[in-house]
Amino acid sequence: MELLEREQCFDELEAILSEVAAGNGRFVLVSGEAGIGKTSVVERFAEAHHHNARVLWGACDALFTPRPLGPLFDIAHQTQSNLTTLLEEEAPRASIFAAVLDELENGRAPTIAIMEDVHWADEATLDLLKFLGRRINRTNAMLVVTYRDDEVGADHGLRLVLGDLPRRSVARFRLLPLSQAAVNGLAEREGRPIGDLYAVTGGNPFFVTEALASREPGVPVTVSDAVLSRAARLSPVSRAVLELVSVVPARTEMWLLDDAISPDTGALEECVSAGMLRYEGEAITFRHELARRSVEDSIDAPRRQSLHNLVLKALLNRGSEALLARIVHHAAQASDSAAVLKYAPVAARQASALSAHRESATHYQTALQYADRLAPEERAGLFEHRSYECYLTNQGEGALQARRESLEIWRQLGNRLREGDNLRWMSRVNWFLGRRMEAERYSTEAVTILESLPPSPELAMAYSSRAQLLMLADENQQAVLWGSRAIELAGHLGATETLVHALNNVGTAEYRAGNERGRIKLEESLQLALANDLQDDVGRAYTNLAYMTVRQRKYQLAIRYLEAGIAYTTEHDLDFYKLYMTAWRARSHFEQGDWESAADDAGFVLEHRQVLAIAKIPALTVLGHVRVRRGDADAARLLAEARDLALETGELQRIAPVASARVEFAWLKGDLERVLGEARSVLEMAKAHDDGWLQAEFAFWMWRGGAAIETPETNAGPYALQMSGDWPAAAEAWKEIGWPYEEAMALAEGDESAQLAALEIFERLGAGPATERLRQTLRATGVRGIPRGPRPSTKENPAGLTSRQMEVLVLMTDGLANAEIAARLFISPKTVDHHVSAILAKLDAHTRAEAVSVALQSGLINQNRERPAPK
Amino acid sequence: MPRYLVERSFPEGLKIPVNAEGAEICQMVVLNNVEDNVTWIHSYVSDDRRKTYCAYDAPSPEAIRRSARRNNLPVDRITEVRVLDPYFYR
Repeated sequence: MELLEREQCFDELEAILSEVAAGNGRFVLVSGEAGIGKTSVVERFAEAHHHNARVLWGACDALFTPRPLGPLFDIAHQTQSNLTTLLEEEAPRASIFAAVLDELENGRAPTIAIMEDVHWADEATLDLLKFLGRRINRTNAMLVVTYRDDEVGADHGLRLVLGDLPRRSVARFRLLPLSQAAVNGLAEREGRPIGDLYAVTGGNPFFVTEALASREPGVPVTVSDAVLSRAARLSPVSRAVLELVSVVPARTEMWLLDDAISPDTGALEECVSAGMLRYEGEAITFRHELARRSVEDSIDAPRRQSLHNLVLKALLNRGSEALLARIVHHAAQASDSAAVLKYAPVAARQASALSAHRESATHYQTALQYADRLAPEERAGLFEHRSYECYLTNQGEGALQARRESLEIWRQLGNRLREGDNLRWMSRVNWFLGRRMEAERYSTEAVTILESLPPSPELAMAYSSRAQLLMLADENQQAVLWGSRAIELAGHLGATETLVHALNNVGTAEYRAGNERGRIKLEESLQLALANDLQDDVGRAYTNLAYMTVRQRKYQLAIRYLEAGIAYTTEHDLDFYKLYMTAWRARSHFEQGDWESAADDAGFVLEHRQVLAIAKIPALTVLGHVRVRRGDADAARLLAEARDLALETGELQRIAPVASARVEFAWLKGDLERVLGEARSVLEMAKAHDDGWLQAEFAFWMWRGGAAIETPETNAGPYALQMSGDWPAAAEAWKEIGWPYEEAMALAEGDESAQLAALEIFERLGAGPATERLRQTLRATGVRGIPRGPRPSTKENPAGLTSRQMEVLVLMTDGLANAEIAARLFISPKTVDHHVSAILAKLDAHTRAEAVSVALQSGLINQNRERPAPK
Repeated sequence: MPRYLVERSFPEGLKIPVNAEGAEICQMVVLNNVEDNVTWIHSYVSDDRRKTYCAYDAPSPEAIRRSARRNNLPVDRITEVRVLDPYFYR
């Protein structure tokens, strides 16, 4: 059959394939409503390239709980690689993914890998798509996925994956309905010119075909009507085949059909020649999923249940691990509780091993629906597993609910060890949900119960969790106390994971209290985690090292941990840690006066839909603070959101930076009452936590707000210096620390030349409100000749490049790529992109090479300039 | 998409000639804006040409600043605004 009105799509696919053949892999998304012809387009394209490309094919099924990595199982069978073995032996997910990438990288001919209907994909397949999407450009493969865009809502897992794909390696095709002319043309060719065919079908190709084939006098009102009127013409034996096949969401293998109803070949042939079913290798399938659903929905419930039973028996006879998800699906549909209880937990474990945690949680839920007859220990075990899988997939409430059940069962059974361990989990889940009070209560209870028993790994973990909670709340001494117990016990029992966990908590707490030993412990935790491939712990160690060094303003060290940590977590798709560290990199840029990079990093974090509050708070805070200092719109809304989220955590480390931005905002607007109000509560909190820096900072704001406040004696830092009126020393101290905005603020309190220096810094930073404020002061005191922008640095060179752009241009001249420039200047690659395009525009160059030659020829850059010695 | 009023200062006065060159400058600004999904609607220029008030549609203030940088335009202040039409209530 010819495909109408898809020529442009084919042309573009051809163009993409030739790029792919040259080693620029691409991710191709084909979307559209059901019946729009996605499969037809992809099939036709693949067919046309059987001679010059390798075609791999996989599909997702409409199972209630999808098979983990379903489409990959299909694809594995079509390759020569060891993928099938890896999958069947449940190898670690990372090595499976690596093997897929390897397969796509090493084909001699380009590969067209197709995954159909990914709107039904399981979590592991979605992760695979994300993994491949970020790396496809280095293969010579074209990864084509099809999906129904009208079934992918805003919070659908697929949408999150597609939203985060690197734009450059993605091509999107949205298939549109046929035009009226095309529909009429088809009708005429069939000899059935029906007037309202286009209006009723909306140009949906599948509907049009079914309507034309239904031979009814008019146009059927729905797709189902069209399909069923076609099915109604089949003989009873053929209808029986059709109905059995309709309850199988996947393809129906011949052995399955034979075992279930052993139909005579005539019946099967009739279904095929009537255009309802078609052969696909050793299997039979509906011509379209819409047709399957129409037939399935037309069967009454008791009959449907008995059909599912037939399928279930056939699948069980076959007895293969790969069929587990399908067995559970049909067992549940057949209401066969024994089968569900036997196979759902196995399917759940298999899914979990492949990191399809969402599917695993659903399988446990399915099993629990029939769990009344199980022994209480077994039921408790199922609840524990379900809780864990929910916890891993951000389903906090589900995790809490299941954990409550298991806790209660263990309590009734009098199993104190399990009770204690479940209490520790209740604490963790509650913290995850932002309920700190509950988290602390459960944590204390867990320790009390477990301490009453002989020393156990559970007790070591309860100690460590207690330390973690305290550490997160800046209760550093207490955290070290509890964490040290965990280290000792875990070391004694040889519990490596707990040891890594505890070293991290104690290290962070000690380091935060200013003890360099803490950093050594964190490094130890990092190395131990790396050696044992404990990826999550590696992410956590990098994260704590990175944010702690930022907090201590050790920026040289911080950027090292940030870059290494962000690289590691990107490589291992540990998105939470990556985003959290990116937010802290934003903070680091912000404090050092690089507001552009700060806003880029913070914006990058906030663009992600699925970002946890813990990472969102610092990103919102930095972006809000940048807007406050630039005088930009909408700072208040961002900071209000950040404050609400921060207050919910109850943790000083998150509350203080937001408060600082809000206080500064109020002060710039001259609302001193508000300054005092906001600063007072945080000052109290900082005193309670014995945090010298924050005490000084908020005492300083109280002082600025007009309160009679004593200079904190213990702290001779820049805030205290400024309060005591020693502005030159304060400015010097800020300069030493590397905070230019604060340096200018101190200078602004000084004499006329200091104020003019402050003005220059403010203008360089783009600090609108502070500039305006200082200008007014200068005018009021009668200073003449106040310079007015544009920034002097912009005027220095004839091309109008800013100083940052000059730096970038110099590095371009040295032949560095954007990523290298980004690393060298400690800014994000995205920011480098912006600078490069601005440079090209200003130099009127079309390429980098052209820009470099213009820069050298015009003398903008001196070819024989001194180069910094390599470090 | 939010609308913003962007205030800019040109101490030496804004110089966009009313000819082909001026048209090209404006076109360049529009092109540079596209990358950040920023739309320049129109501007009011003070009599002494030292200050402009420009209406923009943009996803965020940061987007406006990024394209301003590409266009080498100064930014004093970005305020989010809504339209009020004097005949709205009729």
